[in-house]
Amino acid sequence: MPRRFCIVFGILLVAATGALAKKEPALPTSVNATKQLALVRVNVTGQSYDYFRPWQKKAPFSKRALGAVLSKGRVLVTADLVANQNYVELERAESGEKTAANVQVIDYEANLALLEPTEKTFLDGITPLEITPDTVVGDRLAAWQLEPTGALLATEGLVTTIQMTQYPIDVGQFLTYRVSIPMQYRENSYTVPLVKNNKLAGLLLRYDSRSQLLDAIPAPIITHFLKEAESQKYRGFPSAGFSFFPTRDPELRQFAGETGKAGGVYVTRVESNMPAMKAGLQVGDIVTAVANHDIDQNGNYVDPLYGKIEFTNLLTAHAYSGDVVPLRIERDGKPMQLNVTLEHRDARDYISPPYNFDEPPRYYVLGGLIFQELSRQYLKEWGPNWQREAPQRLVYFDRFQSELFPDANRRVVILSQVLPANTTIGYDDVAYLTVTKVNGREIKSLGDLAEAIKQPVEGFIKIETEEDPKQIELDAAQVAADAPNLQENYGISSLDRLD
Amino acid sequence: MKRAFTFVWVALLLSTACLAQESTPASSPMEPQRPPAGARAPSTPAQAVVPVPVPIAPPKPNGPVQRSLVRITNTAAEPDYKAPWNAGGLQRSVGAGFVIDGNRVMTNAHVVSNSRYLTVEREGDPNKYPAKVQFVANDCDLALITVPAPDFFKNMIPLKFGGIPALESTVSAYGYPIGGERMSVTTGIVSRIDFQLYTHSSIDQHLAIQISAQINPGNSGGPVMQDGKVVGVAFQGYSGEIAQGVAYMIPTPVINRLLKDISDGHYDKYPDLGITYAKLQNPAQRKFLGLNDDDRGVLVSTVVTAGPSADILRPGDVLLAIDGHPIASDSNVELEGERAEFQEVVERKFRGDSVKFDIWRDKKPMTVTIRLYTPWPYLILGHSYDVHPRYVLYGGLLFQPLNLDLLESYRPTDLRLRHFFEYFVQDQIYLRHPDVIVLTNILPDPINTYLTAYRGGIVDEVNGKKIHTLDELASAFAETPEHFVIRLIGDGPPLVLDRNKVEAARERIKTRYNVLKEQNLEEQSISKTPQQVSKI
Repeated sequence: MPRRFCIVFGILLVAATGALAKKEPALPTSVNATKQLALVRVNVTGQSYDYFRPWQKKAPFSKRALGAVLSKGRVLVTADLVANQNYVELERAESGEKTAANVQVIDYEANLALLEPTEKTFLDGITPLEITPDTVVGDRLAAWQLEPTGALLATEGLVTTIQMTQYPIDVGQFLTYRVSIPMQYRENSYTVPLVKNNKLAGLLLRYDSRSQLLDAIPAPIITHFLKEAESQKYRGFPSAGFSFFPTRDPELRQFAGETGKAGGVYVTRVESNMPAMKAGLQVGDIVTAVANHDIDQNGNYVDPLYGKIEFTNLLTAHAYSGDVVPLRIERDGKPMQLNVTLEHRDARDYISPPYNFDEPPRYYVLGGLIFQELSRQYLKEWGPNWQREAPQRLVYFDRFQSELFPDANRRVVILSQVLPANTTIGYDDVAYLTVTKVNGREIKSLGDLAEAIKQPVEGFIKIETEEDPKQIELDAAQVAADAPNLQENYGISSLDRLD
Repeated sequence: MKRAFTFVWVALLLSTACLAQESTPASSPMEPQRPPAGARAPSTPAQAVVPVPVPIAPPKPNGPVQRSLVRITNTAAEPDYKAPWNAGGLQRSVGAGFVIDGNRVMTNAHVVSNSRYLTVEREGDPNKYPAKVQFVANDCDLALITVPAPDFFKNMIPLKFGGIPALESTVSAYGYPIGGERMSVTTGIVSRIDFQLYTHSSIDQHLAIQISAQINPGNSGGPVMQDGKVVGVAFQGYSGEIAQGVAYMIPTPVINRLLKDISDGHYDKYPDLGITYAKLQNPAQRKFLGLNDDDRGVLVSTVVTAGPSADILRPGDVLLAIDGHPIASDSNVELEGERAEFQEVVERKFRGDSVKFDIWRDKKPMTVTIRLYTPWPYLILGHSYDVHPRYVLYGGLLFQPLNLDLLESYRPTDLRLRHFFEYFVQDQIYLRHPDVIVLTNILPDPINTYLTAYRGGIVDEVNGKKIHTLDELASAFAETPEHFVIRLIGDGPPLVLDRNKVEAARERIKTRYNVLKEQNLEEQSISKTPQQVSKI
């Protein structure tokens, strides 16, 4: 997600100009700079895929960031930083010594990644950061940055709120610390560790220079990630797969047959093939307790550290894939218990996958017609305002995918654009169409499409679309004959990528 | 694909100014408008008002146009979609009109739309004459009004209509631009003759002529003349990023069509085939369809079920000729030596007329005949005038059917709502939801205080019964169950109302929010003139 990077970067730049104007007070006394800082510089070059020209990558980008050195020779950064990377390099803060690094584990949803230097001794002499999971509202955290000399630049801020928020990849919600802090711009201000008593409390998620509010990925999420990373196969954060609505409205509570004390949330949707459905949860049920914590009308439970916070925290931060979590529900006024075996929902398990990094997009070029599978990554090609600027019909399909396509096991194949060529004369205005059939066969993935194209009918390939013009035909022989010319003309390295 | 194409242009043409001069909305209707400079002062004795003789310069190609021209002042009430029980905000605007035969005055529909009080003035006469709307054709932005005062037309000269002026020929536009009291004349040449979107309805495309004469707000409805005859009615302009100062007039084919349509005392509107089609320029596609290589025919993509072509045309049919005129693969036909979109043939027809198509179906020629009318689903996509908005208010919840005016007044960001509007015709959403009923607003009251999250939702069912129209919703609310369980489209909890509580709150809500009427189910016309708006 390079675009989001740019924003964060831009904001920090603005912050710098503001911050430079006034003199910062001396370092907060609570922060003690250790001699060997548990910080390294991380230099990343990468290339994102070009979803408008899916056979190629975009121009390379480079980012400079900081990484927090953890035990066992690992360096913690955000997933944002290393998504679509080609080369990652670590740099010692004081000596400037460098080494290449590998991405060991990456979780795009929780926005965390672990790096390991190729040179095993590279981090020697650095005392790794321990993690402190007990930050509460009112605590002061220090943001650790590096001066060009390698000296520590520490800025202190106050934790104002701890709540569930959407992370950059909008899949579910995660625990977030909000910190009021006047950050300064430094060259490596990408992944900035937040520290309490010399222990890692969080990692910069986003910063708004105008309100001087910083959102941080909190230690409980980091700990969860690290624990999961120890396991053989990284499974990601779990989810239950249901949507809910508060039950503040007494009419709704009565309608749902709730008899007990006011509390719980109304289940509005249960995703097919997801843990909640497998456990038997139904639309209209009222969930009154999760993992033995009572839930109020707004969906909050009382957390020993944070007080009232949304119950989804119990399913993400506290539980792991494979855990069995008891849900206490009321159905038609009768209390019941369901045991939900949590699972991680992979990006591939969506109809329109919510994100795609480090893997090239699938596509199929047929005589100048470009076919792709609908995904949010494709829609995000329209920029930060993609929800308004991308083709609205496709945004609608993405947003309401589970409602519109009850057959969960499919993709939406779109005819995304047309490259003018001899084969596509008269089709130049066509774009963003949903493909329903090719040569009479139903299309539910690019694989289906590729197979169907192999079976022309009387020498023609017939493509049917849901939108006007409804049908497009190509001459199969002409398509094959013109293919080399098309590739040469538009610089298409390969006419399809299906794996 | 014409309609869809039109839609793209709506956004582009938002800056298009209707040319009626609008004065500031009168905050209080009682407050008299500030008289423009030179208006008669009440203290001036009547006999002192001497008609200022208009010096007539000797060579005047168009004759004494001031004896045909009138200045129209319209006090209009724009419907208030956010408080549909109110009369709406008052606005006063000035436009032009001209006398034609039969003691009638022709002007633009937008000059007289939503009218509550209409007056006309003529050159050299101090009186303001109350006027009445006879016919309004919102789909082609034309209207006919009449003046009941017995002697009004006595000294007026009705103007005659000419044909389509030649490109580059000179025309003169007459009117009252920028609200002036005296006639203004500007001249220019005919720049282009083409189909244009008529922004008054914002869904209709007809022939329009672009002229280079200066046209400004207040010119609307004024005649554009050449050789003593009317060749057009000034009606809209375009000023934007890509072009400035572009002025358009409604040409005589459109005017003549209106005059013929109303000759039976009733305006029937433009009929439409209710299809979308694609050009057939791809050689492989032509071969696939078994067509000759003769550049003929367009491909039918969608047939609107509620339109006249339903069950006659099918998607995949190729239209080869219309009433004997061959249709080229770029959808043009040749009419009287000019190439025009084949829809122009339909444009010239009236409701109940037939159109004959030579078609190509399953590689065989066929002939079909379609009896024309106006498919109703398109109507919600355009602006409507002179009607009271329909709504149902129940328990402080305001339910309104989706249409362009509603959308423009609420400007919702809701993706589903915008989708339902945009694809109402193309996805045939109207079959399931003839009215897309939106919970647009909630007038806060203790009985609905928890319901704000439901705002913007589209009603699907009430107590298990599918709701297709606003009338059905009103009837559902007229029943007497203990609870109303309203299901909205999409995921989300049902909206539950306790009927007894709603009944108890009814008067309270009406009083608190000054609601005059709890529902309006008929899109009845505002004026009493029966012919003013025709319903299909």
